[in-house]
Amino acid sequence: MNDELIMAVREQRNKVHMNTPVEHIISRGRAVRARRRIPGMAGALAVAAVAAFGVTALLPASHQPGHRPGAQLAAWTVAKQADGTVYVTIRELRDPAGLQSKLRADGIPASVIFGVPPNAQPNPCQSYGGGPELLQKVFTLLAPPGRPQGTLDRHGHPPLGPTEWRGCADHQQPVPRRRPHGDDEPRMHRQLNPPTN
Amino acid sequence: MDFTEFDRGSKDECLLTVLVSVDNQDTAQELVAEAFARAWASWRTVSRHPAPTAWVVRTALNANISRWRRHRREVSVPDPGTVADPPAIDRADSSVDPRIMAALMRLPTRQRQVVALRLFLDLDTDRSAEVLGIAPGTVQAHLGRAIAALRKDLIPERQKEIPS
Repeated sequence: MNDELIMAVREQRNKVHMNTPVEHIISRGRAVRARRRIPGMAGALAVAAVAAFGVTALLPASHQPGHRPGAQLAAWTVAKQADGTVYVTIRELRDPAGLQSKLRADGIPASVIFGVPPNAQPNPCQSYGGGPELLQKVFTLLAPPGRPQGTLDRHGHPPLGPTEWRGCADHQQPVPRRRPHGDDEPRMHRQLNPPTN
Repeated sequence: MDFTEFDRGSKDECLLTVLVSVDNQDTAQELVAEAFARAWASWRTVSRHPAPTAWVVRTALNANISRWRRHRREVSVPDPGTVADPPAIDRADSSVDPRIMAALMRLPTRQRQVVALRLFLDLDTDRSAEVLGIAPGTVQAHLGRAIAALRKDLIPERQKEIPS
């Protein structure tokens, strides 16, 4: 008797028809997929913009004579850590294409420009948007004499050179070099890590 | 498996399964269409799922919960001069047995969902439990009670039809 009942209930599934065409479903699926891609693309573009702006902002300090770390050192070095963090040390503003290609090879979609674009007036008090932690991950900061290594001013700017400490005062507090990874980790922070295959 | 093939072969069963949960064919159609659209957008994942229909039904039921959260403070007022929609089971695009559907709709929601997953989608106990977020033993208990209630509700009527 149960089998007969179950069969009668099961038969109902052939009696309801969904009339939404598959073309409409696929069209809606394309919209869903496009909406999912937007945050990822925006994140990658933002990282590229932050990296490009950060490198460009270093320009004035590099032309301070007599403050180069040493002629035997490379103009820049890129050091990739085991956790995927990439540290960039810039000593001279030479070979931007090489630095860019090295960063991109490490999975960072950066555009490196050594030079101030015409009419560009970087605002020393403007935030970089990604926060000091983001810049700390990109740049190994060369602190001026008397300042602790790897400090940023309160607006998240790196020290721009031994004699030119751009900022808006109150840059005495060292910023922690790393924050532990966690769920509240900003998305921008993660974007610098190259994808692992 | 190709998405079009999956859509063609599964959407009616998914619709009926969602329909017994939401009791409104228009809403069920929208929810299932949205769930299939999301399945298409994640087809690489869904096609490897052990029970893609379970994925679709779970997505549709989640969408129904989200929809309820969005609209729970709204009070719908019928438009004067319009005729109310007929019940879902009387709609022209379904030819279900009204007695069976009415008996199904008299079951508690959870029992209806278990019946739909087990009998309409042919999911096993563990997969049904996963879709509903309950223990496998609870699925079996709900199914047993639902079958007992359906038998009590339907068998006497069916026997009355038999000419003596």
